[in-house]
Amino acid sequence: MPETRALRLGIAGPVGTGKSSLIALLCRELGGTIELGVVTNDIYTDEDARMLRAAGVLDPDRIRAVETGACPHTAIRDDITANAIAIEDLESDYPATELVLIESGGDNLTATFSPALVDAQIFVLDVAGGGDVVRKGGPGIARADLLVVNKTDLAPHVGVDADRMRREGEQAREGRPVIALSRNDADSIAALTSWVRHLLARHRHGEHVATDPGPMAPHFHADGTVHAH
Amino acid sequence: MSGIAALLLADARLPAGGHTQSAGLEPALLGGLEPTDIPGFLRTRLATSARVDAATAVVTRAGAPVEQVLDAWAARTPSEVVRAAAVEAGRGYLRLARTLGMPTSLLPRDTPRPIALGSLARDLGLAAAEVARVAIYDDLQTACAAALKLAPMDPATPVGWLLACADPIDEAVADVAKLTEPQQIPATTAPLMELWQHAHSTATRRLFRA
Ligand SMILES: Nc1nc2c(ncn2[C@@H]2O[C@H](COP(=O)(O)OP(=O)(O)O)[C@@H](O)[C@H]2O)c(=O)[nH]1
Ligand SMILES: [Mg+2]
Repeated sequence: MPETRALRLGIAGPVGTGKSSLIALLCRELGGTIELGVVTNDIYTDEDARMLRAAGVLDPDRIRAVETGACPHTAIRDDITANAIAIEDLESDYPATELVLIESGGDNLTATFSPALVDAQIFVLDVAGGGDVVRKGGPGIARADLLVVNKTDLAPHVGVDADRMRREGEQAREGRPVIALSRNDADSIAALTSWVRHLLARHRHGEHVATDPGPMAPHFHADGTVHAH
Repeated sequence: MSGIAALLLADARLPAGGHTQSAGLEPALLGGLEPTDIPGFLRTRLATSARVDAATAVVTRAGAPVEQVLDAWAARTPSEVVRAAAVEAGRGYLRLARTLGMPTSLLPRDTPRPIALGSLARDLGLAAAEVARVAIYDDLQTACAAALKLAPMDPATPVGWLLACADPIDEAVADVAKLTEPQQIPATTAPLMELWQHAHSTATRRLFRA
């Protein structure tokens, strides 16, 4: 069935890996052709929302901040109430909204969004976090809809092989997509925006199904199906 | 039904966004309240805003016209920031009611927490004293839970604070449970606490919504 509700895309990953920057980038690149909204989940301040408003990439009223009571994981996973209300308000204030980007306030590798809150999620790592982060794994790294290995321009300065990090990401993800991104690399930006546009098209045609990367490892059910929950 | 319903409404695990709230404690600490004064803060809320909210919930549950209850509550909650925070907390209950198909979901979007709670209590068949007790307990326990985040201590300590309030809570419950009319809602306010909360909307470093 064709989907009329806006696509909800979560952006998760450790602090400082470039989630807010990626959202600003998407607003800049897609804002001209797609009606956007943004919800941020700051742990301690409304810094992210203010940074994005100050970046001037989107009407400030379309950027909403949610306080999480120091429970950033809860707010995107088990009690999504505050985020769901923020998204519903955005959609009712701007009914033409097509894509809502939700930045997690998650501060480690285990935080992932509930499929009840987002239709798809991007997990962001950066090369400065070290080449071995991908191998350490975790639900977001292994099973988010997209893994972004960010700031590849910094790789030579931090002694990390960005290409190898991407390859190891692909291995850990069993074929799920990985994009090695840098804001200075136009080709990588094009790959990212094309992934988002493709996802939006699939969502509109009712072809996209939200899946949970889980905090649990994939496991078998008695009927033979495999779940990542 | 009311057997587990009262427990559900008092449970922090109820998915209504309760973890975003500090019942005025974070604004108070930012405003200069010493952590050692938190027990006094709890007693102040019990004597003032928590009592107003509990009475508001009771009167709503009794079936008083919602617009009149809203006016009465708003008149006793002068800060628009505090009222807006209560509306956000109320939205969590409304959303829950919507998912569960309860009549409370038909209330206007700007219904504040005590009215949403009173209405849910009505849907769930709670007695007047039960909703009064839930309203007060949730308010004080929210502040106690937030205290552990904001001024960490042995987590058993706030439990002791709450237990020390047990008798005055029972008295407050008995006082408000018999009310049925909006004009009977007590008009007890705590101006300094309201002032602290009023400043919270512009605080740049905060963990909690209110
Ligand atoms: N060199 C480089 N720095 C980046 C890139 N993307 C983001 N950053 C920087 O990384 C820092 C953290 O970014 P931010 O978006 O705030 O991270 P967040 O905490 O995940 O939201 C900021 O100083 C950004 O300017 C990139 O592609 N290359
Ligand atoms: Mg950020």
